[in-house]
Parts: sequence; C-alpha cells; structure tokens
Amino acid sequence: MSEENPTIALVGNPNAGKSTIFNALTGKNQRVGNFSGVTVEVKIGETYTPHGQKLNVLDLPGCYSLRAESKDEQVALDALTGKLESTAKPDLVVCVVDASNLERHLQLALQVIEMKLPCVLALNMVDLAENAGLRLDPAKLSEELGIPVVAMQADAGKGVIELKQALRHPFPPASEASWLLNTDDGESHRRGFISGLCELAARRPDSSQRTFSDKLDSILLHPLFGWIAFIAVMFGVFWAIFSFASIPMDAIEGLKGSLAEWVTTLMPEGDLRSLIVDGVIEGVGGVLIFLPQIILLFLFIGLLESSGYMARAAYLMDGVMAKAGLSGKAFLPLFSSYACAIPGVMATRTIDSAKERLVTIFVAPWMSCSARLPVYFLLVPLLLHEKEGTWKQALFLFGIYFFGTATAFIVARILRGRLGPDAKPSHFMLELPSYRKPQWGYIFRHVFDRAWAFVRKAGTIILGLSILLWALKTYPKSDSDDQGEALAYSAMGRIGDFIEPAVKPLGFDGRTGTAILTSFAAREVFVSSMAILFSVEETDDDEETRSRLRDRIAAATWPDGRALYTPLSLVSLLVFFIYALQCLPTTAVVARETNSWKWGIGQFVFMSGFAYLASLLVFQIGTLLRF
Amino acid sequence: MTAAKATREVGLPVSLDEAGLNCDVRISSLTGPACDRLRDLGFCEQMQLRKISNGRNLLCTVCGAKMAISRELAKQVIVSPMR
Repeated sequence: MSEENPTIALVGNPNAGKSTIFNALTGKNQRVGNFSGVTVEVKIGETYTPHGQKLNVLDLPGCYSLRAESKDEQVALDALTGKLESTAKPDLVVCVVDASNLERHLQLALQVIEMKLPCVLALNMVDLAENAGLRLDPAKLSEELGIPVVAMQADAGKGVIELKQALRHPFPPASEASWLLNTDDGESHRRGFISGLCELAARRPDSSQRTFSDKLDSILLHPLFGWIAFIAVMFGVFWAIFSFASIPMDAIEGLKGSLAEWVTTLMPEGDLRSLIVDGVIEGVGGVLIFLPQIILLFLFIGLLESSGYMARAAYLMDGVMAKAGLSGKAFLPLFSSYACAIPGVMATRTIDSAKERLVTIFVAPWMSCSARLPVYFLLVPLLLHEKEGTWKQALFLFGIYFFGTATAFIVARILRGRLGPDAKPSHFMLELPSYRKPQWGYIFRHVFDRAWAFVRKAGTIILGLSILLWALKTYPKSDSDDQGEALAYSAMGRIGDFIEPAVKPLGFDGRTGTAILTSFAAREVFVSSMAILFSVEETDDDEETRSRLRDRIAAATWPDGRALYTPLSLVSLLVFFIYALQCLPTTAVVARETNSWKWGIGQFVFMSGFAYLASLLVFQIGTLLRF
Repeated sequence: MTAAKATREVGLPVSLDEAGLNCDVRISSLTGPACDRLRDLGFCEQMQLRKISNGRNLLCTVCGAKMAISRELAKQVIVSPMR
C-alpha cells in the first residue's frame, strides 16, 4: 500500500454496517454480522474514487463513543488520532450511522466531527428507517451538520457510487461543530442539538408500531418458548452437521480412493509410490474428508450472526453465563470458538471487563473447535458400534460439546473468583438489532475463505507431517515381510515404544501415543496419523475405507491378546481431545491478545496437563469399576 | 402504591427498574456511575422509551432500537410517564 494515497476511516456504532460498506468499497470479504463486535481489529483495504484516485480504507471496530471504555473502542480512537501503529492518521472519516437509530448513532458522529477531521456521513439502512415510518431529510442533515450526507442501503449496494463520489478530492473541509460554539458544556449541547436535528430531519411517527422483529422476539425471547427455540436451534445445528455432510464426505472419500488406485496402476511398486499413496493421498485425503462438516459449521454460525439471532442468544445466555462469572457478552466469543478458537479469542475485545475478558480467553479453547470434529467423527461411531450419521451419534456429539463447555464454565467460575472484582464495575448492556435476511453473498464468501484456509492447512502442515510420518514409519527398513515387524523396526515403532509408558496408564499404546504427539501440531492430523500407523489400505468404497480404519483400530490388540481399544480407552481418548490445547496458533494469539506469553504458555501447559490427568482418571477409575 | 402504579397514575419519577411494562416513559434524569455509558447507548435525558420485559436484564426500546440492560443500570435511569 502506498504511503502517498489518502486514508479514509469508517467509524460508527457497532452494527451500523461499517463492514458491509467496507466490503462494498474495497471488494474484500470482511466478515459481516448482525451482531455488535464482528470487527474487532482494524481492517485495511483499498478503493478508487470515480476519478481513479486510490484511497486506503480502514474499517474500525464499532464504538458508542470516543471515551474508549473497552479495548475495541480504544483501537478505534487510536486509529482516528493516528496513534495506531501501521496505519496513517485518516485524511477523511466516513461516519456510518443507522438511519433508523439516528438519535443514538449521531452521538458518535458528532464527537468525530468535534475532532476537526473532515467527515462524510453515510446514512445507512434507509430502508429500515422508512419501514419504521421515519421521515428522513438528508439535505437538512447535511446543512445542519456542515458535512456531506449520503443516503445508503449498503447491503443492497445502494448508495455506494454516491459515497465514492463524496470521497473524491478535494475532501470537504472539517465542520465547525456549531453546537459547541459559545458553550462550556459540550455534552448537553450535543444532546440538545441531536434532539433538535432529529425533529427536523428524521422525525419519528407519533405512535410506535409493532414490527416483525417485535413479533418474532415475543417468541424467541419468551422465558419458556425462547429457551425451547434456543435448544432446538443449537441441536439442529449439530444434527445437520452430522447428517447433511455425509453425502459430500462420501464423494471426497470416493475421489481419494480413485486417485490412490489411479496412482497405484500408473506407478511401479516402490518407495515413491508408497510415499504418494500411503503418505500423501492417505494423510491429506484423510483430513480433507472432514471439509464438508467444517463448511457447515461456519455456514450456520454465519447465518445465526447475519440474521440477528446471535444477539438474542447472548441475551438469553446472560443468566447462564453469570453462573460462570461471565456475562452474555462472552457468549459470542465462546460460541465462535466452536468453529475456531482464534476468532473467538479475538472477539473477546468487545467485553468491557478486563478480568472477564481474560477468563473468557482462558477457557475459549475448551469449546470444541472444528479441528476436533475429525477426531470425534472417527471415534464416536467406533464407540457406539454403529455406521456413521445416526441421531444417537448426534446426541453423543452434543454431549461432548456440552462436556467441554460445562468444564469451561466451572474453571471460569473458579478463575473469576480468584482474579477478584474489576476496579471499575461493568454491567450488561446489549443492542438487539432488527432481524434481517441473511447476506448470503458475504456468508458464502466467508465460508469459502474458512474452507480455503482449511484446505491450505491440509496442503502445508498436514502434507508435511504426512510425509514425515510416512518416512518415520517406513525407515529404517527391516528385512522382514511382516508389516507389524517392519513397523516395530521403524523409527515410528521406536518412538511409540519410547512414549508408551507415558500413555499406557491412559489406556493407549505407543501408536496412539505417537498419533497424539503429531496432533499437537494440528488436532486433525490425528486421523491421518492413525490411518498411517494402523496401515489402512485404500478401497474404492468410501465408507468401506473409513470403516476399515475403525475395524483395524477395533481389532488391534496388546501383545498379550487383550483388545487395545475398549469402550473405556475410547472414552479416555475422547476426554483427552476435549481438553488438550493442541493448536500452536491459538497459543500465539492468546499471547498477543493478553500481551503476555505467560498467559499463552500457562494456558497450553494447564490444558495439556488437565487433559492428561482427566484421561488418566477416566481410564484408571473406569478400570477399577470394571467398565 | 407500587412504583409502577405511581408512574402510571400519579406521574412520579421512578427508576426504569421499577417502571411499568409496555407503557411509554420519558427519561427525566440519569444518576449513578454509568451515566455516560448509558447516554452513549441512547439513554439520554428527555428521550422516550418503552420497557418491554422485566427479568435479570431489562428489555426496552429507545430511539427505535431494542436494548437489553442490567437491573443495576436500569436503576440509574429515572423515568416519568409521557404526558
């Protein structure tokens, strides 16, 4: 990005539509939600005016004022004052306001104008305002505020060209902020000015109407029906992930089998063919097969955010979160962590209380993320002795998520108590936006980005580890033709023998221990490691291959002939994966967000130790009770 | 006489926490440590609002927006009935 290009910043209240305008201006795919706090850091993009002038565009986190009471508000203020590293002080500010909530949104816009920065007012969501019966007068607003005003409906692409025209050089001069003239009490004069301005240019109808959102909320926020709806939505999401994904998963599995067969017929037998078929195709394909489930999870989270339901869920959950010493504001970060802990940890910036934020960051990785899904999908059918995709498995999966979440809440409660109260008390306050039709274009692009990130990971980290695992399993070569003896002689067999004493009390053998060890790089590697370590051969039939891996695991025995995988050892393995923090990028993001490696490393050590102990207790107590 | 009844029948200012459900009230003053934050959210003096539900957090509409605020915050908002 060139330093000479002018910089414009998009600022506004949470959920005013800044990210939608940013995407419309820059063509990027910044995440859009109908929930405050979707943008928690400054996003940078580029756009061009109708005259070809290139502009740098900053999308700032939403804030209600420039008092900077939470971390995301501080970031917005720093960006506006030019104190933020890596971004220039903006030459022009686009104040994005929700036209149906002008009385509230103008508070911030006026504070920005008072900073003597050239401003343009983007009067967004004019459709909602008109539906609510507001009589808008953008020309009057512009005259009174002394800045250009552009009426917009950004989610439908309306007003974007007009906004680009308003951004052309020369930028409008900074407004005089007439409401501040001859007064010492800026706050009350600002409020009085807004009140008068809204009477003139955004008059509300005298009688309040019952909107569609109000009618829907009477059910979805009902003390009884609201909870029934909430549980139905959450269970529906998990059930859909489990059942709908089976068709594309079968297709990927079929492709994997065909590819392996094609390579096998094409190449002569030898190490290179073994590397490609048993290492690369099996390793990478074994992880890629879970892509449909990950896509579905991100799709549902996007839908819930975009429709406006997520804020209702946070409102409902506030009472439950309070039992863990948290507030409803921790719901979005924790729910996002079901997809991936990294955006979840970053979304904690909207939490006002510093201590609540730390606690939320600490427990977020215990919300079972999508990387754990492949492990669960491998182990749950094995445990229940069933084919994939039954409602019983969906219920079991729901239970696994509940188990991780309940532990997170208990630990949060203990930790919150130990950290003590905040120096400045914070209270729950949340805006419940009107329900909106989901913005499918943005949702699909966001899902595509996440899916691509997963595929990229499969093509880099997982590919690398698959090759490494294959090499460790293949070399040094023994003279024996017996596959078991060859594996025992290889480097992998020796590593397994070395770590077996540490994992045996948990009910696992050296091979499982080795697979767990590799999954500390990325959890989903566990599945491909197991496939490689248990020497599963490819077949054309998709389900057959997966069930072969399960059959191989189920048939595995200890040297004395006992079954290696009993229901108890499978539960022990599941418990380990529910609790272990096997994700280095999360540790790095936690260290960055808490400004302390002590928290990042402390969390990693604590969660890994906790997972080991929990797994140990499950297996040892279960053995004592003869399960 | 309950606080909600006082608001409806006599017009005495009460806190939003005590105000009656589903009647329009006007904010007469804000009192307490969270005043500035409340004003940022649209709970300004002279603003009209309607309380929709009671509970651990109150639901109300202010300036056309639906807001959920805690009881502690609602106690800092003093309202009187619309005339």
